Amino acid sequence: MLTNYPALGIFFLITIAFPVTAMGLAWLFRPKPKAAPDDEKFTTYECGVNTQGKTWIRFKVNYFLYALVFLAFDVEIVFLYPWAVKFGVLGPFAFIEMIIFIAILLIGLWYAWKEGALEWY
Amino acid sequence: MYEFILPNAWLIPALPFLAFALIGLFLHRWPKVSAGLSIFAIAAAFILSLPIAAAVFAEEGGAVFEFSTRWLSMPGLNIDMGLLLDPLTAVMLIVVTSIASLVQIYSLGYMKGDPGIASYYSYQSLFAASMLGLVVANNFGQMFVFWELVGICSYFLIGFWFGKESAKNAAIKAFVTNRVGDFGFLLGILFLQIIFGTLNFAGLSQEMAGYTNMAVLIPVAVLLFFGPMGKSAQFPLHVWLPDAMEGPTPVSALIHAATMVAAGVYLVARAFFIFSSVPQAMTFIAVIGGITAIFAATIAITQNDIKRILAYSTLSQLGYMMMAMGVGAMTAGMFHLMTHAFFKSLLFLGAGSVIVAMHEEQDIWKMGNLYKKMPITTWTFVIGALSLCGIPPLAGFWSKDEILLAAYASGNTGLYVLGALVAFLTAFYMFRLIFVAFFGSNTYGQEKAHENSGVMTIPLIILAIAAVFAGFVNSPLMHHAFGHFVNNPAGIQPEPSTAIMISSTLIALAGIILAWVIYQKKLISHEALRDKYSVIYNLLKNKYYVDELYARLGDIFVFGAARAMFWFDIHVVNGLVNGIAFLTGKSGDVLRYTEDGQVQSYALYMVAGIMILVVVATIAAVSVIV
Amino acid sequence: MDISLLLTEIMVALLGLLVLVLGLALPARGKTVVNRFALLGMIAILAYSITAFSQKASFFNGVYQIDMFGSYFKLLFLSAGILVMLMAGKYISRFEEKSSEFYGLMILATLGMMLMSSAGEFITLYVGLELMTISFYILTAYLQNDKLSAEAGLKYLILGAVSSAILLFGISLVYAMTGTTMFTEIAAAFTMQPALLAGVVLIIAGFAFKISVVPFHMWTPDIYQGAPIPITTYLSVGSKAAGFAALVRVFMVAINGADASFDWSMLLAILAALTIIIGNLIALSQKDVKRLLAYSSIAQAGYILVGVVAANSFGLKGVLFYAMIYVFANTGAFAVATAVEVDTGKTGIEAFAGLSKRSPMLAAIMTICMLSLAGIPPMAGFAGKFYLFAGAVQNGYLWLAVIGLIMSMVSVYYYLGVSKAMYIGENENDSPVLTTGGSTVALWICVLATILLGVYPGPLSELAGYAIQILM
Repeated sequence: MLTNYPALGIFFLITIAFPVTAMGLAWLFRPKPKAAPDDEKFTTYECGVNTQGKTWIRFKVNYFLYALVFLAFDVEIVFLYPWAVKFGVLGPFAFIEMIIFIAILLIGLWYAWKEGALEWY
Repeated sequence: MYEFILPNAWLIPALPFLAFALIGLFLHRWPKVSAGLSIFAIAAAFILSLPIAAAVFAEEGGAVFEFSTRWLSMPGLNIDMGLLLDPLTAVMLIVVTSIASLVQIYSLGYMKGDPGIASYYSYQSLFAASMLGLVVANNFGQMFVFWELVGICSYFLIGFWFGKESAKNAAIKAFVTNRVGDFGFLLGILFLQIIFGTLNFAGLSQEMAGYTNMAVLIPVAVLLFFGPMGKSAQFPLHVWLPDAMEGPTPVSALIHAATMVAAGVYLVARAFFIFSSVPQAMTFIAVIGGITAIFAATIAITQNDIKRILAYSTLSQLGYMMMAMGVGAMTAGMFHLMTHAFFKSLLFLGAGSVIVAMHEEQDIWKMGNLYKKMPITTWTFVIGALSLCGIPPLAGFWSKDEILLAAYASGNTGLYVLGALVAFLTAFYMFRLIFVAFFGSNTYGQEKAHENSGVMTIPLIILAIAAVFAGFVNSPLMHHAFGHFVNNPAGIQPEPSTAIMISSTLIALAGIILAWVIYQKKLISHEALRDKYSVIYNLLKNKYYVDELYARLGDIFVFGAARAMFWFDIHVVNGLVNGIAFLTGKSGDVLRYTEDGQVQSYALYMVAGIMILVVVATIAAVSVIV
Repeated sequence: MDISLLLTEIMVALLGLLVLVLGLALPARGKTVVNRFALLGMIAILAYSITAFSQKASFFNGVYQIDMFGSYFKLLFLSAGILVMLMAGKYISRFEEKSSEFYGLMILATLGMMLMSSAGEFITLYVGLELMTISFYILTAYLQNDKLSAEAGLKYLILGAVSSAILLFGISLVYAMTGTTMFTEIAAAFTMQPALLAGVVLIIAGFAFKISVVPFHMWTPDIYQGAPIPITTYLSVGSKAAGFAALVRVFMVAINGADASFDWSMLLAILAALTIIIGNLIALSQKDVKRLLAYSSIAQAGYILVGVVAANSFGLKGVLFYAMIYVFANTGAFAVATAVEVDTGKTGIEAFAGLSKRSPMLAAIMTICMLSLAGIPPMAGFAGKFYLFAGAVQNGYLWLAVIGLIMSMVSVYYYLGVSKAMYIGENENDSPVLTTGGSTVALWICVLATILLGVYPGPLSELAGYAIQILM
């Protein structure tokens, strides 16, 4: 049984060895400056286009709210599909359960609506 | 009726406790309401006690009811709490609730105008609850809890006027002295648990029946007796009781004369099956009791403070009861406990009435001719004193007579002579007090003396009636009814003897007459006597120098040891403790810095923790598999 | 399958939704009515759940278990919820018109806890755990204009997600190796394999996060300090008890005794020892009462874990007993802290100075509750610790009991530090600290239960004894 695990051990060793090797090689081959690095070295991107403005910009929170509401209903569909397919077999008990489930989600929708999550402003 | 009250007898201690809790938590701002509630609770407890007594005494020889419930259960140790209702309990219930009710009513007058009335009544209620809890306990463990509680209440009430330095010191002295006794008591209880595996009285009584290892029983019985020695102020742990008179006088009447100090006697009666099977312990009890009785009676002769005379008288009478227990007369001891509770609380309340009338004056030489101004107080006091001296047909006569009889019948002639001597001394010092304070020619402070109001005199009258008639329950006139219920097969109950009755009455009368000759007629000058026997007088006046001896011994041993310990403590222990504390605190300070507020590092610690756990578990598991 | 046996859970779910809906439907002024309704509803459900205590049933082939073990913890969660709602009375005025959602989310968190305590398999357990945790994420960040609260919410979200991932990883490993998520079947299919061991360790780590066991405790002080105090209280008593309920069931049914060749309790014993030591030591140097209580609650989790280590009837009885009395002692302490914070706006030790002169009752209750936490007789904490440590000694973990006792002594130092400030400290403000009716009731319940259960622990310990029979 334990014979299944050497691969795991080797994988574990490689995961440790890989970053160590990569960074070690970089350290080995990099040019070794005599003086302190100039200011350019401390910028975020040493080459390419300079960034404009702050990175911490605000963007609309409505994106999140829409995503959240969408997610809730997406999950609802995931449950509804198998239920719809097997509707005949599952019978009235499952029907009532699904009604309750949808009702709970409807309350959620109502809540989101009332709290203004569906407004775009 | 009985079906309800018997299993619910826990209500009796619970009611005063409830009063205590309500006063302490909510009602303390309204002293009148507090007092009313407290009195109501204890009166209700008294009324509830009546059907219990009726149920217990309804059966020939006395019925026994026991109810218990599991309090704590674990393998090897079951602790129950429960109620034991038998004649002994019933007598104590009636005595405690009735006297406590009267004392609390009386306190309305005595404590009038005191700023601490609410807390006074809350302590009174707590005391009543603890004392009643002690009385109904069905095992030593529960009893010990209440035993300590009454001690605490006594501490609070002695030090009630905590502004007074002497009251504070007296409270501390009482508490510490009691702790000495209680330590032995607790050891005794623990031994019982270890040896017999139970603390239940009935269970112990069964276990004891077949147990004969005296080498074990003697120390256990003596250790158990340490509790009563402290609580009932037996020599040599008696020193706290006279000082306890610093408390309010109703407290002295209730706690330090009638009930709490009698708890020790009650305990000996309750555990009589243990003591009576160890003759050596019985002798020990009898001797300690006898010594206390004579010792305190001689001191009482020389005291001038009205309350201290009564306090030494209480000591002496408690010694009497213990002596009765020790010679095997459990019935006589309990009987005397009951009658003494009535007449001694009467005497204390009478003294309190005098003290109020004389505006806090307690020196008997500064009183005189009070009988004109305070007739009710005077005559009830005289009834109490006559009862205490054992003049027939008052209550004290019957009970004291039985103790002397028992001492004589048990063959301890020495103890009998001692008892008779104490009876003589008792009569002498009581009537010295009466002739000087109530009938003396001194008119000092007369103009301000006055009879007190009804709340104070009515309890006196009721107690005086009890002091007259309470004795009949165990007199030949009622065929020794008391003895049929409160007895123990191991105890003795000798036939009454007319010779003893007559001789003890004559002895008491002799004491009264001698007091009359010296203090009323002044045929013999007491100053001359004092000067002639000044060595004895000083010895007695200074209470045999026991307090000084204890102080000196304490100085040498306790404080000497304390100084040595102090040095050790400062230089060795403190260094060690401070070092450990320093290390502990420092390690906390260092560990604190792991908490740097960075979510990343928190997650890092978590993952590192998991890695370590997985590796540890895997290594451990692999070592198991391989 | 009798749905009526699920009535407690159904009622809690309905109450939660109803409170949300009513909060939406009623105008802002009507919301106090909703709060009352939520409280009364919880009390009614508590009353019902007492009558339903001894019900026993198994739903969906063992996925959901109704038994006394679950019932006991349901009583605990409901009592804790009610106490927290009572003490929150004045505090929630800070939430303005969002107060009904606050109650709604609390009720839903309670539902999550209930699911955790009754789950018979891992997926249900996980759903309950997430329901509880997500509600708490929101509640922690509920003080919208308070930076500490927002920071606490975010930290809790991130670390909670990490711990959920760890738990799920563990569950998936266990599922991979045994082919089932049902506790009883896992026990049957348990074999000694490294992957399965790793899975179990990960699951334990996931629970350890919820009950804040060292080294998974780091989130606790920051979140406890930042969250609104009622939520801190509920986190410390409710969420923690739920974690223990799930841990005990998983440990006793699925893991322990499945394969006797590996001693799982040793692993827990090391964690418990670390938790007790580190929690108490760091608490020594705290200056903020909320943080102090946070570290104390870490240490308390360590004590309770000792009972799980013991895994005998004594220890498990201790776990259930202690979890219940911890609700009262800790809620009492936090309720006093809430009253002081509402009054002074601060929770540093200096805010408690002179409290005995301002409000003697609050100071006395704080002291009694803290003495109970320290395990001083006759408070309930003593009886609880007695059961826990006695269980450990019985199972051969004398060293763990000794560590517990020594560190309990250390804990007295910092608990009494607060008392010292309250009784000896001076405060120029000598006006009494006001408490509302609800929080006064909560305080009294807490202090009375703490004393009564300490003096007469019999009935509760018997109840706990019945509850654990299912596991023995």
